[in-house]
Amino acid sequence: MNEKISRMHFFFVVKHHRSKDLSRAQISNFPHPHLSLFVFFSVPQPSLCGATMRKAEGGILLRLLLLFMLHATGTSYSPPGKPTLTRCRSPEKETFTCWWEPGSDGGLPTKYALYYRKENSDKVFECPDYRTAGENSCFFNKNDTSVWVNYNITVVATNALGRTFSDPVDIDVVYIVKPNPPENLALTVLWDQTWPYLHVSWESPQKADTRSGWITLIYELRIKLEDEDEWEEHPAGQQKTFNIFSLCSGGKYLVQVRCKPDHGFWSEWSSSQYVKVPEYFNREKSMWVLAVIFSAFALFIITWLIHMNCHNLKQCILPSVPGPKIKGFDEQLLKDGKSMDAFSSLVGANFPPTTTNYEDLLVEYLEVFVPEERELMLEETKELHNDSLKFENSTSDCDSGRGSCDSHTLLIDKSEEEKGQQPDQQSSEIKMDGKGQDEEDKYLTCSPENVDSHQLSSEKVKTWPSSFSPLPEYSPIPLQQPNSHETSKQPCLSDSLFAAGPLPSHFPHLGHNTKDEIGSSYWQFGISNKQLHLLHQQMEAHQQLQAHKNASVSNIGHLQLPSVRFTEYVEVQRVSDQNMVILHPVPSHPETSYPDWHQTEEYSKVKCVDNDNGLLLLQREGVEEGMDMCSYEELPESDPSKTTNTTFTSPCSQPAPSVQDERVVGGYVETSVFTLPTY
Amino acid sequence: LPGLDPLSAVWVGIICLVFSSRLSTMKAASICPNDQTGCHLLPLANLFDRVIQHSARMHGISDDLHSEFELYFLPSKNQIGRVSRNCHTSTILTPNGKENAQRIAREELAEIILKLLVAWRDPLWHFHQSMSQHDEFTNFSSNKSLEMSDMVHELRKGVLKVVEKMQMLGIISNSVGDTGSPEALLTSDSAEWRFMKDYDLLYCFRRDSNKIQNYLKILKCRIVPKHGC
Repeated sequence: MNEKISRMHFFFVVKHHRSKDLSRAQISNFPHPHLSLFVFFSVPQPSLCGATMRKAEGGILLRLLLLFMLHATGTSYSPPGKPTLTRCRSPEKETFTCWWEPGSDGGLPTKYALYYRKENSDKVFECPDYRTAGENSCFFNKNDTSVWVNYNITVVATNALGRTFSDPVDIDVVYIVKPNPPENLALTVLWDQTWPYLHVSWESPQKADTRSGWITLIYELRIKLEDEDEWEEHPAGQQKTFNIFSLCSGGKYLVQVRCKPDHGFWSEWSSSQYVKVPEYFNREKSMWVLAVIFSAFALFIITWLIHMNCHNLKQCILPSVPGPKIKGFDEQLLKDGKSMDAFSSLVGANFPPTTTNYEDLLVEYLEVFVPEERELMLEETKELHNDSLKFENSTSDCDSGRGSCDSHTLLIDKSEEEKGQQPDQQSSEIKMDGKGQDEEDKYLTCSPENVDSHQLSSEKVKTWPSSFSPLPEYSPIPLQQPNSHETSKQPCLSDSLFAAGPLPSHFPHLGHNTKDEIGSSYWQFGISNKQLHLLHQQMEAHQQLQAHKNASVSNIGHLQLPSVRFTEYVEVQRVSDQNMVILHPVPSHPETSYPDWHQTEEYSKVKCVDNDNGLLLLQREGVEEGMDMCSYEELPESDPSKTTNTTFTSPCSQPAPSVQDERVVGGYVETSVFTLPTY
Repeated sequence: LPGLDPLSAVWVGIICLVFSSRLSTMKAASICPNDQTGCHLLPLANLFDRVIQHSARMHGISDDLHSEFELYFLPSKNQIGRVSRNCHTSTILTPNGKENAQRIAREELAEIILKLLVAWRDPLWHFHQSMSQHDEFTNFSSNKSLEMSDMVHELRKGVLKVVEKMQMLGIISNSVGDTGSPEALLTSDSAEWRFMKDYDLLYCFRRDSNKIQNYLKILKCRIVPKHGC
């Protein structure tokens, strides 16, 4: 108590005549010079009673004096202001300190006291240590500190006029830990090959006990160049070493480190440590410099090259778009307004068709060949044979003009088969007889389902002249009569134009029928029908099938053409249950009946048998060859056994006997009775 | 057996033998080929680390929840009413200082940890239930309370494993029970915690989770001091 009072620096000296050992107080400025009071503070005597008595007396006297002074001087004095507890901190979770901020003292000496209460206890304790931590602080040592216990702390300010309590604060030691900064910070420059790096090491603060696991600290360090302002921070976790790379050569660095418990506050930064990085050659930098220079140089060269070849590049990268150009088309003429002249070059020989008689363009023919081998055919067949082989190889059937029932490949295959079987046959009739009905049925099958003739059945199929359908891949066979044969091969087209190019090749295929295969032509017919199935897969358009068949049939006929006298005719015997047209060969009488035959009857080439059991016959144009056009007729067969009548629009022209070798003249089926007249 | 021909049975048997032999060899191949000092304790140290990490996470969650609560429900921190708080686990005697914690026996320390974990099992579950009913809480908080509740379970299992391992190694005696002493049972059965407010419950649990974490660390550094202490 006495100590406290002495702190207040009273400038009054009170003369205490009773006590002998008076300590003279310092005489300093008085508010009123004429009033001087000497206050002697009594030193505590050994005897307790005396001391306390004096104390009490002193205190009362003091108060009286104070009051007098207040009255005399006129200054205002008040009870102390409210102190506030600013913070409480524990450096190692074993002790802690609390600091407070005093309020106004009210002009009077104020004393402060800290009281605390532990959790769930009403007992009030006063701060054990006001000195250790400095002014306005309270230090709790290990004995007084309990962790995980709630402290309720209050500071009281007392002066002569009153006392003021601060707001109470609850603290738990665990959450107020702020450790001391780490110690023994050491920096060393180490070398990683040619690169220096900084190795930083430190130790945990002495007080914090990390070894026993009581506190767990995590560290953080920061570094900067001496001249810089910005620090570079690096969290280091729980480790006590750290490596820093990418140092400036010859630079001087500052390093600091701090720590924090897992739940608490960061410590202060430790004192800076300096380190100087030795000079070293930064290969990386120089490499970058070189790379930049090189790329700049390369860029320059490229730019120069581009500039030199400006035009060429332009052409290469952005080629000029060709203007629309039509061969033979003169723009100027169009601009001038002479449209007809302009288009004149476009007009081909046959386009637009000048003839209005489209009937002339139609090809109508029906050819049914009776197989009969003739020597005259040999030459032809040989050539045809070659071509046929060639054609045979191509699996993709480009020929769109073939009838469906006829297949050149079919013919070839079958003819090959037949080769061995029937080397020599003089008359197809004999063959036919020999084969019997079964074979006839077998071979002369024209399954309706193979033929998509339903489309055709509804309309007349016209074939177009060969000028519309050139196929470059097929070389025209000189043997052929250009138009007639080609047209004969041309497909029955309703609405589209198909190339008849492959048609000529049918001839060579047919030529595969050697002289030995006398009776093969009608076989071929049958074969073609049979093989229709195979072809069907290849050919998509039914027109192709039809054309093919057409061609095949014509091919068949072609074989027979060279000599009229060799022509065999197949008599349509009947139509079997399976919609097969059973043809009966008619014995041919050479050189005789042909003209008669042609004059009297009209024949149309069997194109195919449609689904409705109709035989589709083709019209053929035979203007140039002297062949009259046969009318295209559909022969509906409601009753297989019945032979229906067909009408002929125009008489078929008979094939000129003069074109024996070159031309194919198909056999004809007299549609009226499906029998061919005998010569 | 109709479908099992002898050949396949033989194959199965061979395969089984191979596998079993492999497993046994795997067991035999331990981490410590040469019996270095303290090497055989490495698995125990790892176990301790895992458990300590787990407890740290648990404490973190409780801390977050507590501050969230303070933000929403108790704007003024220094209410006098808070002093009268009494945690239901106060009946469990826990060391309140470093010296105390280092002085008591390892078994006792382990036991205290387990008691604390057992005592908080039910209260946390109910806390989570009440949390999810309140509309004010965000899903975030609700998830955290559930996580907290689960973690207590997991941590208890982990600590039991550690104790088991220690007992196996002969470090501690077999006095550490599984279900806990009657004291712990009383604590968990007592209805005290039911009368506590949510905020007080959180406050108490935050502190207790910190205790658990700290005790585990002390235990580890007492038993396996060379592994990261």
